[in-house]
Amino acid sequence: MTEATHSISMKASAADATAHRVPLSARLKTLALYVLLTVLLILYSLPSLGVVLTSLKSNAEIGREGIWNMPDTASLQNFRDAWETGNAGKYLANSLKVTLPATAISIVFGVLTGYTLAKLPFRGSESLFIFLVAGLFIPPQVVMIPLFRMFNRAGLYDTLWPLIIVHIGFGIPICTLVMKNFFATIPTAIREAAIIDGANELRVLLRVMLPLSLPSLAVLATLQFTWIWNDFLWPVIFTRSDDVRTVMFGLASLRGQYSVAYGTQSAMAVYASIPTLLIFIFFQKYFIRGLTLGSVKG
Amino acid sequence: MVVVYPLVSSFYYSFTDWNGFGEQYNFIGFDNFERMKTDRLFRNAIENTILWTVAAVVVPTSIGLLIALALHERGILARLYKSLFYLPICLSLVVIGQVWIWIYQPGFGLINIMLEKVGLSQYTRAFLADPDTALQSVIAAWSWQQIALAMVIFLAGLTSVPKELTEAAEIDGAGYWRTVRHVVVPLLRPASVVVIALSVINSLKSFDILYMMTRGGPFHSSDNLAMMMYNESFQKYRMGYGSAVAVVLFMITLVVIIVYFRQQRGLEQLYD
Repeated sequence: MTEATHSISMKASAADATAHRVPLSARLKTLALYVLLTVLLILYSLPSLGVVLTSLKSNAEIGREGIWNMPDTASLQNFRDAWETGNAGKYLANSLKVTLPATAISIVFGVLTGYTLAKLPFRGSESLFIFLVAGLFIPPQVVMIPLFRMFNRAGLYDTLWPLIIVHIGFGIPICTLVMKNFFATIPTAIREAAIIDGANELRVLLRVMLPLSLPSLAVLATLQFTWIWNDFLWPVIFTRSDDVRTVMFGLASLRGQYSVAYGTQSAMAVYASIPTLLIFIFFQKYFIRGLTLGSVKG
Repeated sequence: MVVVYPLVSSFYYSFTDWNGFGEQYNFIGFDNFERMKTDRLFRNAIENTILWTVAAVVVPTSIGLLIALALHERGILARLYKSLFYLPICLSLVVIGQVWIWIYQPGFGLINIMLEKVGLSQYTRAFLADPDTALQSVIAAWSWQQIALAMVIFLAGLTSVPKELTEAAEIDGAGYWRTVRHVVVPLLRPASVVVIALSVINSLKSFDILYMMTRGGPFHSSDNLAMMMYNESFQKYRMGYGSAVAVVLFMITLVVIIVYFRQQRGLEQLYD
């Protein structure tokens, strides 16, 4: 009898203990997970950190201690060097001259074709759409030689024009895809009401549809800007002289020129990354949504 | 216009011996493709492209999924972590290539320093200058960015996995990993299809980072088709042969696209 009550109370206290232990072990698990994630995150961030730290060190210090340690004293000398002797300003300006118009124009085209395909379908518009989307997948190398020949003949080799034109061309599919998908979600009744009120198609698009599509436009602007800014392939193919070098090409050629000037190189890398980093920080929501929406372009 | 006309021309040039200058060239039929059969460089580039593709299917998908699972629905701190894990996506492959060169450096490279510290100095080497490790090293650096991309897409996919389902599975006594394997992963199939398609297509196109890190060297050991195409056309000025390589690359891409669209259609039917 006493033994029985004893065992029951033992069981009860054991159950009690597990009841307390569950949240504790869950908390421990979460803690362990975070420790693991933190270690992983530090490892994962090392490459990015390396660039930033190196850009703050003097070349003498890099020569003495390598690049994978904390700087003794942080200095901005590398950034001055990259700007003054490394032409960072000129390269950044060239990149902007390509990226801004190409981003804007490809989005305009995307709005027009996307709207047409979503709201004014015609015979064959479905096949045209599939065809356009397939364009997302074409490796640029496949069309490189004929484009090279075309721009060469047109006398545009070694100017920024081929870059702008090619980025518009390769940007249209993704812009069309995103805009078409967006316009498809807007009720057709809205368009019809506006038309009955006497608006023409362009007015409907500009006054009714566009204000509604600002988030989609933001998605496209962030994605297109980042891709075009970061591109390296086309400048290598279509440009040669220093005057039309984009910042990515400039960074890559810096490597050949002064292969030991790690400080200047990393300062240039930081310059080259600032615009896309800013976009990423301020428009992360749109950027991420774009990646998951259209998500078939690299 | 910028895509279709050149695409057709590429096919046309692949049957010629055009050198990139002037207007004269001869129509040589299938000679360029015949030549590939015995071209050691071409076989090497194909093998490397396949290796890269396999890595693209396995590495970003698995690691991206694991990190996404760890970060999914964990509160405010996790949100900060996510942003930091996302970061590589907005970096250029040129910048990534540059910093990974420093990681692989023979003298003060991070990996070699670490190997020394843990007493594995027999494994230290000039990773990028060694034909045995050059390609794998570049692929690893490339994966670093692709993992982030995969994670973004998986995290988006995870938000559409109903909580009731995972909770029900856990209540029924399926442990965490069994729930993941039998409930979460099947529900993530649409996201997985996108991730895999994206990394495979990106791997076929990859050029920037290879150009930056090894230029296909040493001795062409890390060439892929995209790099070989560039070398033949713009270094050796054999535009005809280069076009033929581009056509092969296009054919491989086409197969991937067709498989992808089939999968997509299958998914749509599944969800209708």
